[in-house]
Amino acid sequence: MNKILKLLVLLPAILFIVTGLHWLVAPAEVAPKFGLTLDHGVGLSSQVGDMAAYMLTLGICMLTALVSGRRSWYYPAMLLLAITAIGRSIAWLFHDAALAVDLIAPEVVVATLLLIASRRLPEKD
Amino acid sequence: MMLPIARGLLLACILWSGGSAASTSLVEEATAHLLNEPTQPPRPNIVLILADDLGFTDIAPYGSEINTPSLTALAEAGVSFTNYHTAAVCAPARAMLLTGVDSHLAGVPNIPEFLSPEQRRHAHYQGVLGNNVVTVATLLEGAGYHTYMAGKWHLGAEPGKLPSQRGFQRTVALADSGADNWEQRPYIPLYDKANWYADGKEYQLPEDFYSSRFLVDKIIEFIDSNLVDSNPADSTPFFAYLPFQAVHIPVQAPQAFIDRYMGVYDKGWDALRQQRLLRATELGIVKQGVGMVRMPTTEDWDALDDERRRFEAKRMAVYGAMVEAMDFHIGRLIVYLKETGQYDNTLFIFTSDNGAEGAGAVDPNDFDSNMMTSTLGYRNDYETLGLKGSYNSISPSFASAAASPLAYYKSYVGEGGMRVPLIIAGEALPLKGALSHAFSFVTDITPTILSLVGIPAPGERHGGRPVEPITGRDIGPLLLNTADRIYDADATVGHEISGHGALYQGDYKIVLNRPPLGDGQWHLFNIVEDPGETRDLAGEMPQRLQQMLSAYENYQQEHKVLPVPAGFDNVKQLMLNTLHTGLRTPVLVLLLTVLLLLPFYIAYRIKNTHP
Repeated sequence: MNKILKLLVLLPAILFIVTGLHWLVAPAEVAPKFGLTLDHGVGLSSQVGDMAAYMLTLGICMLTALVSGRRSWYYPAMLLLAITAIGRSIAWLFHDAALAVDLIAPEVVVATLLLIASRRLPEKD
Repeated sequence: MMLPIARGLLLACILWSGGSAASTSLVEEATAHLLNEPTQPPRPNIVLILADDLGFTDIAPYGSEINTPSLTALAEAGVSFTNYHTAAVCAPARAMLLTGVDSHLAGVPNIPEFLSPEQRRHAHYQGVLGNNVVTVATLLEGAGYHTYMAGKWHLGAEPGKLPSQRGFQRTVALADSGADNWEQRPYIPLYDKANWYADGKEYQLPEDFYSSRFLVDKIIEFIDSNLVDSNPADSTPFFAYLPFQAVHIPVQAPQAFIDRYMGVYDKGWDALRQQRLLRATELGIVKQGVGMVRMPTTEDWDALDDERRRFEAKRMAVYGAMVEAMDFHIGRLIVYLKETGQYDNTLFIFTSDNGAEGAGAVDPNDFDSNMMTSTLGYRNDYETLGLKGSYNSISPSFASAAASPLAYYKSYVGEGGMRVPLIIAGEALPLKGALSHAFSFVTDITPTILSLVGIPAPGERHGGRPVEPITGRDIGPLLLNTADRIYDADATVGHEISGHGALYQGDYKIVLNRPPLGDGQWHLFNIVEDPGETRDLAGEMPQRLQQMLSAYENYQQEHKVLPVPAGFDNVKQLMLNTLHTGLRTPVLVLLLTVLLLLPFYIAYRIKNTHP
């Protein structure tokens, strides 16, 4: 059971890292998947820097948690995903953004998965 | 001998066609001079009747089995248009009907309930009538008419948007997309109540309310309040706008009317669709041999069990009853006008805002439909179907029969969504019981009314501010039999709704209906020979297709049409907007609570892991 759980954490971790690298290498390809149009100048700098940092931090935290067996590494990733989903919902409710169900749903699912992993997977000494 | 009003109409039309900038006084002066009469002819009263979601063959003069003697009488007293088109959804149609301006420029590219947040960021995508357009009521009021309205408005309830502030002197108006016909009650969860207004103030409906009866009573009351008792013919002319709730969901009717249709629909939708095609052909509404598409939403009647067939037949019986009830009350208005001596000087325009509604539940007893109706406190049992407290609609299968022989229905830009009945009648009109097969569009109604009463259309300014000029055309010459067509073979008329697109040119139409019901591809049809849209000519006439696609591109640019968001769907958007409106505060409280508790939870967990 724990092996399955680890695999379920590993897969999105890899996906986040690949997406983060994608932002660094070919932002124009990945931006539309987030409903973004690439800016220029400082705007482009923020888009590439922030999105890559977000994705890579997520993935690295999850991988670190799996490799080190330290549960506390799950929490930053969980927080990032949960707050992103909350932010998206508030953007829909108050800022005329689209309700991005396709993005919110995976964020909530993975955050829940991380919560379960942080409770079930054994802590290494 | 020509009646005075007919002479007036003829002259007004002649002057109108010669130059729209002609002033009212010029028209009147010229009329009196040319007729060598000391007095000008009386200006006609106008009664504009709008049915809601009425299909192409839903009334007897267009091939229906539904008994509509009042509308048949009107058809016999004027001209029935067989190639008249409107918007595929209600509020855009109403905006165009009342202003003569395309719905995108008038601020109503779709009903507000279907607009996405991204679209709403644009000023002309608010779904309410913009201040950059002038209503026909404002223009008629300015010309000395009394202006009345009783019925569904759906063009905005914000300050400055209600009909009482858009040219109507006396009003009873429903601001929402629809409402119950028996009581003041919302029909979808988006509304917390049915928002009725009278003369600009919130209004409580009477206890004995039934929509069609009530609305006609109010119109009669308004007209009567300004009648010159000694000689009604001397009264100031009026413009009465009567947009019925019939036959919008919830489909409801008095029991006595329902009884007349029990058993009428027992053979099902395919039989009805065929029967209406035959009758429409006999009447000359469509040509002999017109083909029909069987919509994928049409179920197999024979595969239904007896119970379901019985239920579906009654759903449609209530629909027929609601149409007849509307007709009955139109008849009361006509009788009133005759009794008060105003009938001979009144012109009637009857039409529908869009085609038949195909969004009714396939099976109203399935889980989703039951959830919705029970959430609203409605029931949908067989015995009381259509009565007070009952929620009824027709299925997409019967909607196709209501649109017979056309393809698609409301919300789609197939002919079934856009081609509807139009009757223009009056004692003064020279043509009686005539059919016009000429193409006409909903934006033509306002300029036609203005032309018939001899009032110039506004140009690019009105009341000291810039306004969108009318783009519709005066179809008066068709009424006077002085022209065969108003739009020449090169003229184009475009329409966009929810990402579906259509463009008419001469006898041809290009059309794109988005999935899931449409295929998202452009098709080309000859809608005169093939109104059922059965034979795609895109392969045979690639040049025409390309040329019309280019014209549609121009239409989109000139009318500031915005693309719909990816994956857009009317029903999905309505649900999202309902959630957005109804759950905004509780969802915010929940989200902020989660946000606040998250750090505490994590701190607690870390503390427990590493004590």
